[in-house]
Amino acid sequence: MCAISYYLEREGIMTTGISLVRENALALSPPRSLWVPFPLGRPLGAANNPDFQHRVIAAGLDLLNRSSGPVLEDFAEEAPDQDHATAMACPVSFIRATSETTSWSDRLSQELSILKPWYDLGKRRRNGRTLAGVSGTSMDEIIERLAEHLDTATLPTDDLVWFKHASEDAKTYYLEAMTAQPGDQNPASLHKLLWTQTVLADGLVLLAERLSRTPGLEQFARILVPRSAVELRAETAIDA
Amino acid sequence: MVRLSDLPEYEREHLLAKNMPPLGPPAWVNHSKSIAQLRIALITTAGLHFRDDPAFKFSDATYRPIGNNENANDLIMSHSSVNFDRSGFAEDVNLVYPIDRFKELETKGVIGSLASVHYSFMGAGLLPEQYQHNTAQLAGMLKQDRVDAVFLTPV
Repeated sequence: MCAISYYLEREGIMTTGISLVRENALALSPPRSLWVPFPLGRPLGAANNPDFQHRVIAAGLDLLNRSSGPVLEDFAEEAPDQDHATAMACPVSFIRATSETTSWSDRLSQELSILKPWYDLGKRRRNGRTLAGVSGTSMDEIIERLAEHLDTATLPTDDLVWFKHASEDAKTYYLEAMTAQPGDQNPASLHKLLWTQTVLADGLVLLAERLSRTPGLEQFARILVPRSAVELRAETAIDA
Repeated sequence: MVRLSDLPEYEREHLLAKNMPPLGPPAWVNHSKSIAQLRIALITTAGLHFRDDPAFKFSDATYRPIGNNENANDLIMSHSSVNFDRSGFAEDVNLVYPIDRFKELETKGVIGSLASVHYSFMGAGLLPEQYQHNTAQLAGMLKQDRVDAVFLTPV
């Protein structure tokens, strides 16, 4: 963001914008930057809250009135609280009905069948909008191919791009099912639910661990599973 | 909240590793127009595009156009990072790409007008300098569209 702002300004286009990491903006010094104290992924602060979003935009636009810079200002408001009872609001129960010795194919397929009606409901609530589909592959096929790698202890080395997109599609599908009911739910709670309660997370973490031990694929493993998820799973295992 | 002091050490280190020195002498454009006269384009680095567009690669300095009159609810995201929340964007496109808010500002006369085309980059995995070439090219297109100012949003 900072680099694009700087290079556009150098070409004669005025720029202003939002920064989510104050330290990065301070170091790179784009011409005008509004630091906001919101979670990564949420530069406008709150979903479905036009009034709040307008206040963020107004503060960003106001920087265009400055006569000299670089300007780095702090937005004065915190983001409104999301629903902290996400686990309660999530309609999906991730109770593991099958034993750990059941095949990945069976366990993942069963989980998908539980999620499907909720994903469909969420999609209808969002007027048909879904972020799943970057891989261009149906969720049934994604789960089938993921399970095949897990059941045969193979790695998707022949098509890493497809695998990355498919893994994001699967996570998106799960999150959209978990948020089928209205409300901007707490992202940290959703993150915890996805990464500590689902068979999908178990499978992705296992594949990422195998990939991280494969020469040349260490970096790829890091864009499948966030470090925070690994830490969270370790904490949850200790608590249990 | 993204206050580094609130984050675990590994996340703090990851984000601080992106601290780079300024890219050159300060760049600054002053405009004689008021905000109510400015023609504004939106640029996001969220890796957004339409389903028929090519997805972003893992490290990618290219950009995708988003027509001002296209339905933003059809946008999807192929950002390579796993370190940010996507559930909010699934709920409301404006959380990341505030096009409806800017259309409201245009209608109210708070800004002059919106560009014909807005743009999305994917901000991950590259050094800042690697965006220079494509950004300079983009500046030419923004000028053709008579854009005065750009509002940028990250993820």
